Amino acid sequence: MVEHGHSDSIAPSRVVVLGASGFLGRDLVRRLEVHGIPVLGLSSADADLTDISSVKTMSELVKPGDALVFASALTPDKGRDIRTMMRNMTMGEHVSALLDKSDFSHVVYISSDAVYADDVALAREDSRCEPSNYYGLMHVVRERMMLDTLAAQGTPLLILRPTLLYGPEDTHNSYGPNRYFRMAADDGKITLFGQGEEKRDHVYIEDVSRLITDVLERKSTGTLNLASGTSVPFMEAANIVAGLVGPSVEIAGLPRQMPITHRHFDTTALVKAFPAFRFTPLADGLKATWETKNGG
Amino acid sequence: MIGFAGLSHLGIVTSITTASKGHSVVAYDPDQSLCDMLSEGRTPISEPGLIELLTNSSGSLRFTPDPEALGECDVIYVSADISTDQDSRSDLSVVAGLVDAAVEHAQIGATLVVLSQVPPRFTRSVADIVARRRPDAGLHVYYQVETLIFGRAVERALRPERYIVGCMDPTAALPGPFEELLSDFDCHILRMRYESAELAKISINVMLASSVAAANTMAELCEAIGADWSEIVPSLRLDRRIGQHSYINPGLGLSGGNLERDLASVIGMAYEYGTDVGVVSEWVSDSRYRRDWVLRAVLSGAIEWDSNDTVGLWGIAYKPDTDSTKHSPAIDLVMNLNPIQVRAYDPKAILDAGSFPNAVQCDRAFDACQDVKALVVATPWNEFSEVDLERVRDVMDGDLIVDPFGALNADRCVELGFKYLTLGSPARKLEAVLHG
Repeated sequence: MVEHGHSDSIAPSRVVVLGASGFLGRDLVRRLEVHGIPVLGLSSADADLTDISSVKTMSELVKPGDALVFASALTPDKGRDIRTMMRNMTMGEHVSALLDKSDFSHVVYISSDAVYADDVALAREDSRCEPSNYYGLMHVVRERMMLDTLAAQGTPLLILRPTLLYGPEDTHNSYGPNRYFRMAADDGKITLFGQGEEKRDHVYIEDVSRLITDVLERKSTGTLNLASGTSVPFMEAANIVAGLVGPSVEIAGLPRQMPITHRHFDTTALVKAFPAFRFTPLADGLKATWETKNGG
Repeated sequence: MIGFAGLSHLGIVTSITTASKGHSVVAYDPDQSLCDMLSEGRTPISEPGLIELLTNSSGSLRFTPDPEALGECDVIYVSADISTDQDSRSDLSVVAGLVDAAVEHAQIGATLVVLSQVPPRFTRSVADIVARRRPDAGLHVYYQVETLIFGRAVERALRPERYIVGCMDPTAALPGPFEELLSDFDCHILRMRYESAELAKISINVMLASSVAAANTMAELCEAIGADWSEIVPSLRLDRRIGQHSYINPGLGLSGGNLERDLASVIGMAYEYGTDVGVVSEWVSDSRYRRDWVLRAVLSGAIEWDSNDTVGLWGIAYKPDTDSTKHSPAIDLVMNLNPIQVRAYDPKAILDAGSFPNAVQCDRAFDACQDVKALVVATPWNEFSEVDLERVRDVMDGDLIVDPFGALNADRCVELGFKYLTLGSPARKLEAVLHG
């Protein structure tokens, strides 16, 4: 369940974003600036979170009363092995050390829906967290790090678990709309496993930034899945992308390597916490993505 | 003489219905004002037929705050409702006090019957108390399962399906006055040990909860797939293994307090005794999920809501024919819609204005529809099915009707241009119907 520290929206004095050069961090920094909220974006160039020295570096940059968004992680495209998981956990350890030394007013931890077991039919915030990969496992551990560290000091924490994100400046090449645009534009062909039957919830990056801004302004606490509640097959997203890129784009199926898994979300907690929040429909978000990519 | 100790909903209904069968009844409760009220022919509870029975039975029914009156009785029922907290945990303090009073004042050879919903082993503990405090009184101790249903309590008390009686010795005959009393109601009397009867009561509610959860699960699947659960239900009822009276209409989870309390009891007992209870925990979780169906239906659609908008709400009580709002999904809805405004109407239940700053209670169903963007029929009172929907359409601002229990005529709603949502079937709107 999500609770709000503020009954109305009150902008934080400043927001520090860790992972500011990443797909999510970049869009968030941009939105906060447009919204007139002071923001300090930090990336690995400013402080390498895998190095212990980052704790001192960051502690000298943050101020009492800052809100913190911890969006920094080595995503699966950077490695799916134990070594990458350990580096991610080391980052969590160092951010925990930063939290111990600092006086943040509010912390938002960007986790992932990868924490959930693959066979959860309808993922809720209290669904089983039994990740099937090291990335999800890392987030389970880091969530616990944040919870324990901040509970000890009474600092409000919201854990956000986004699902599949898409948008024009995605830095990853993960399976989904981002890859489809690249394939369609570069190769004129989108390849899917099987017939793209897997259903996924797709969230437009700007919706993520809007929700995080709302969370910061309401000083929300708890755990929240960041999903629209509408999951569609990969084939549907691929068809939309193909239609946007051009009539000659082909969609081809490849033999499956993994069994079909679906991911659906129960969005009751989000609806209760932010009843007026609306997600960008997939067709609209993909259109906006394509237009931005094309300089529109 | 039949005695009742405890005048909660259960005690009031059972004492009155027992007197209506011609028995002399004395009903005790320490609350003087409650006794006075009942003596004047008024009741603090609402049940169809109750006031008429009370009026007609006044000659053989006496209400008193004096526990000594129980000493006149051949059979004494301990009949307090068991209150539960937010987590459905039972508070046995009241019934324990009434047991004490009954044990202290019971005449030699009387029969004490625990009618209140108590956890397994409670009745045996009462028998132990009797053995310790009144070893020579020859008192008999029994447990009797109550199957009170709010809104149908009088009917259930006058025409029970069967009596389930927990006994120290199930093979022994019941004491004469107790046997005579039960025989007056002309139904099977099933004797079993104390713990079996106590667990039988819980088992009834566990089976009902399983039915509710299964029905809701399948109904939701119908909504997603394009099936209609209301088409499936008759085929299930005609299967003798499921039955005509099974609880398989879709709903908004468990409410009212009794089923939730019993599921919590089962989970607690399983935890204590080390038995597997995972499926019961899932039903509890499922009930929470179902409860929010209306909220999701209202807020997840294409309508843009802001705090100036209003939702019309028909029904506040947790079910029709009662004024009880315990665990009512309507109450949750009002809370969760905040700051969206709510205009509410209920034929009997009252919304506590102080607790819900975003809601006003209206005197008429139409008033609750004035200028609203959506109408929710949260409790399927019969009167709602008779409302002129064309008039409703005229006074509403929006066109969304959320009618989880199908209280309204769905076809008429769609004809009038409403977008109509109900449990167990896909959303309907006129152009979707026309275009297939």
